[in-house]
Amino acid sequence: MRETVITVSELTRRFGATTALASVSLSLPRGAVYGLVGANGAGKTTLIKHILGLLKAQRGSVRVFGLDPVADPVGVLSRIGYLSEERDLPGWMRVDELIRYSRAFYPAWDDAYAEELRQTFALDATANVGNLSKGQKAQLGLLLALAYRPELLVLDEPSSGLDPVVRRDIVEAIVRTIAHEGRTVLFSSHLLDEVERVADHVTMMNEGKIVLSAPLAAIKESHRVGERVPSLDEIFVAHVGTRTAPATGG
Amino acid sequence: MRSPALAIAWEFGRRHRWGLAALVAYLLLMVATDLLVLDQAAVRSDGSRDLPVHVAPQFAARVTVPVMTFTYYFLAVFSFGFTGNLAARQSMYPARMFTLPVMTAGLAFWPMLYGTAAMASLWIAAVRFVVWPSGMDLPLIWPPLFAVAVLGWTQVLMWLPYGLPGLRVVVAVAWLSAIGAVVVTAVELEVPESVMVAFLSPQVPLAYLCARLGVARARRGDIPDWRETFARLGAIRDVLVRPRDHFSSAARAQLWFEWRLHGRSLPAWVAILAPFELAFLWVPGTPALVVYTLFGVLVTPPFMAAFVAQGARKPGSHASDAEGLPPFIATRPLGTAALIAAKLTMSVWSALVTWLLVLAAIPIALTLSDTWPVVIEHAREVSDFFGAPRAVVIGLLGLSGLVVWTWKQLVQSLYVGLSGRAWMTRLSTGVALTVLIFIEPIIAWIRESSEVRVALWNALPWILAALVCVKTSAASWIATRLYHSRLLSDRTLVSGTVCWLVAVFALYGLSVWFVSTPLIPRYFLLLIAILAVPLARVSAAPLALAWNRHR
Repeated sequence: MRETVITVSELTRRFGATTALASVSLSLPRGAVYGLVGANGAGKTTLIKHILGLLKAQRGSVRVFGLDPVADPVGVLSRIGYLSEERDLPGWMRVDELIRYSRAFYPAWDDAYAEELRQTFALDATANVGNLSKGQKAQLGLLLALAYRPELLVLDEPSSGLDPVVRRDIVEAIVRTIAHEGRTVLFSSHLLDEVERVADHVTMMNEGKIVLSAPLAAIKESHRVGERVPSLDEIFVAHVGTRTAPATGG
Repeated sequence: MRSPALAIAWEFGRRHRWGLAALVAYLLLMVATDLLVLDQAAVRSDGSRDLPVHVAPQFAARVTVPVMTFTYYFLAVFSFGFTGNLAARQSMYPARMFTLPVMTAGLAFWPMLYGTAAMASLWIAAVRFVVWPSGMDLPLIWPPLFAVAVLGWTQVLMWLPYGLPGLRVVVAVAWLSAIGAVVVTAVELEVPESVMVAFLSPQVPLAYLCARLGVARARRGDIPDWRETFARLGAIRDVLVRPRDHFSSAARAQLWFEWRLHGRSLPAWVAILAPFELAFLWVPGTPALVVYTLFGVLVTPPFMAAFVAQGARKPGSHASDAEGLPPFIATRPLGTAALIAAKLTMSVWSALVTWLLVLAAIPIALTLSDTWPVVIEHAREVSDFFGAPRAVVIGLLGLSGLVVWTWKQLVQSLYVGLSGRAWMTRLSTGVALTVLIFIEPIIAWIRESSEVRVALWNALPWILAALVCVKTSAASWIATRLYHSRLLSDRTLVSGTVCWLVAVFALYGLSVWFVSTPLIPRYFLLLIAILAVPLARVSAAPLALAWNRHR
């Protein structure tokens, strides 16, 4: 049995009268590419924030690498690469300054790999982060999340702002490489075709609850109608009753 | 809501409803005071009221502090100063409004109109309900007009795009100081109100035209870029100060981050303001003017530190009004205590660099203005009175005290902003304003009544003891929480306590050495030393950040 990287048990979170997460339980084995899908407001980002320790469990528990991310943020965050949906990188820094600053936090930082990614993404080292486009910020965020080869990569809507070429040829390639190296990827997305191409395990969320969670192959097999294998989009609609968003996004 | 004008008005009202509510409450209080207190005062033949001597200063304070506070508040609100980046080249006018189907003239006009109406109402109400009834003589027309003109120019300066980062600050300080200097000079020369009105009236439409130009340029993305011109300076800097390939530790990287983000603000503000203050050394006058000027320059760092701290205590890396900790900072693999340590260390460097600037500027200005003899004469008087060694020690202690005071101003309210709770910021601002409003009347009351002074002197040890109890109780509670949350190691907690005790006893020892009089008992000095050295509020910063980081 593979080692578990993330264990979420009976996690409940309320914001005022709104229940963002209702008794969510989840377990991520090492080496998996885990796709988290759901409509806006389904609870994906709230769940990710609990995994990062940015939100404290009101009920239930969260363990990452066996550690409580709130009690031991350094122990957990030093092993996670995170790309925020908000792309909130400090705009006053230059790209090279941000790389130099981020490098200091991770002993395993790989300079050669960081430079390779920078050149792949065609990011100007002397450019101000604040002047980068949304897509370039996403690429820079991805560089910072990848350059120290984290054990767990958490990507919150990684495709947001990226053009289709970068999305398909680079991000998906990176995610597959990480999985082949035995590391774990958790990514949230509303682009179901992307999840379908990359993830080997899918969790669907709706109104703070997990409505379906299983290996992708098993999900497809269980929804097969005769010879026809439905798309993830069709399965999502069947379970949630609505589409996530236009599949052309980003 | 069918008109853009109403929509823009609604946005101002909705966003700043708490500030407006406070303003309405203040005006109601003033009207009530006018009716209940001032009506009972004897009416003079000219219609003004004959207030008791100790009442007039109270009313002056009640006007000065709140009206100036609301004036600054309106300057920030109606120039969109709360949401923009003061140091950026880009206009501070919200870019989201450029896509509205509204003419550029309207985008500039409505915020200026609402600002003008609010500012004029504030000043007219203050003059009508407080200044006049309390017997003070102040014209009704030009002070509100002056406030409106300053607001108009502030809006222009905030909305114009600039060619260099930080240029807005320099231009704003210079331009607004120039207008202020003209008005102050006119008041000193007792210029008639009609002349003041004639000078100030054209400023408002002129400001509107400039604001419209600024918004138009910002709307079409016409932002001048002079950075290339200054790129050679950057290249020279890169040669002189070669950037390190890497930081030796995460803590050093975080310190660099804090320094770049917040550390340079205080030295920059003091560097901008000090030349204007030191310019008074060239004004022919009495030696007292030299002393007042130097005093003003010396209190500028701690005074400005209180303002700079409002920005430094923001948890985020952007100049937004968001209270929460941005994920970029929250997900740094660095302990909460280390994040705080970087802020505290940055504050130390910021205070030291600021004072280095001040201590370099003062001798240069004294030399160039030929005012050294005045300073030397005063130093000699102090030396004769205290004796040379004691005078030197007093001077050094005074300087150290100012540096520490500056640092204290930078860090003592960190916990408020780092908590990420808007209600704590509002509460803290409310408490500070309340204290500012009532401190002057209370001081006047104490000054006027010998019975009150005697009673206060007798009760002072008990008052100080109660404050010490409050401080140590709060510190104990915070220490317990820090211990249980494991935010600080046992070693850090113990060494922090030891450092605080050493500082308290050092200050106590100095006080005993300096204040050697039987009139003041030594326990009294110990209580003051305990209250003077920061403890509870600084210790609360890690708790506040953890509360924000793990919501």
